[in-house]
Amino acid sequence: MLEQLYKYKSELKKDGIIFSFVGPISQDVVEGIGSVLREKMETEDINSNTSLKVFAIFVEQMQNVINYSVDRVPENNFDSHISFGMIIVGQNEGKYFIIGGNRVSNVQKERIEKKLSILSNMDKQELRAYYREQRKIDPDEYSKGAGLGFIEMAKKSTEPLEYNFEPIDEENSYFTIKTIV
Amino acid sequence: MEILEIKATKSSPKVSLNPNTNIHEISGESYPENSYEFYEPIFDWIEEYIENLGDNEAIFNIELYYFNSSSSKILMDMFDIFEDAGEEGKKIVINWIYESENHAAQEYGEEFSEDFENMTFNLVEKSD
Repeated sequence: MLEQLYKYKSELKKDGIIFSFVGPISQDVVEGIGSVLREKMETEDINSNTSLKVFAIFVEQMQNVINYSVDRVPENNFDSHISFGMIIVGQNEGKYFIIGGNRVSNVQKERIEKKLSILSNMDKQELRAYYREQRKIDPDEYSKGAGLGFIEMAKKSTEPLEYNFEPIDEENSYFTIKTIV
Repeated sequence: MEILEIKATKSSPKVSLNPNTNIHEISGESYPENSYEFYEPIFDWIEEYIENLGDNEAIFNIELYYFNSSSSKILMDMFDIFEDAGEEGKKIVINWIYESENHAAQEYGEEFSEDFENMTFNLVEKSD
């Protein structure tokens, strides 16, 4: 296994991946990785508005994984503050990409798809208006936060959110979502 | 009423609520693990404070460099409380303070200011 790891790392580099984390995710991870990500961007002299956008999307993605992943630590404890998921941050052709991944139930999948398809047809202005509208009303019963995370990501993304549901079995899928800044 | 002081952490803001001076501060960053939990004591304090405010003017200096979408909703809810108080004749001033290069903070401030009429919502730009 060890011999293959250099090759693995080189593949990541080829894809422009700066950061790849698969494992238990909690607020501590958000703060820790978030800090280092910001520091890295600051030292590279990236425009501060861009690095703040990248950080903002990173936080939304991570907190979505913490709130909604069906994989919890300990298992089956939906109130646990630790979940399992994936986060990838990279750079490609001058833009940053942030990918979040976690397992979801197929019931969740339907709700997520509904939310995301509404967003995919909106332009920046419509997204801003929709965000303001949704922020005024109470979140639905399935939301753990304010239910605004995807809209926030779509607003800040330079391209429409890209997402995929990979079937795992009859009950679950693996949900990945990519934002580009 | 007592002063409510909460120290800033990496993911939560400094909060300083003072019923004696009527000058309050929320500053830093806001992306706590559970925003409802974090802000609950602040909301409780504010509700009691407003009931007892009388004729005094309350000034809230809000300077948030970054806040997540949950916190954005919290701010909305907080401003709604101030708006209701304003409708009842209470004097509430919000100073939304942001650094001139922080476009996101500026934009959020502008959007909030458009939503409220019964309190004074000032956009305060800081340049280095």
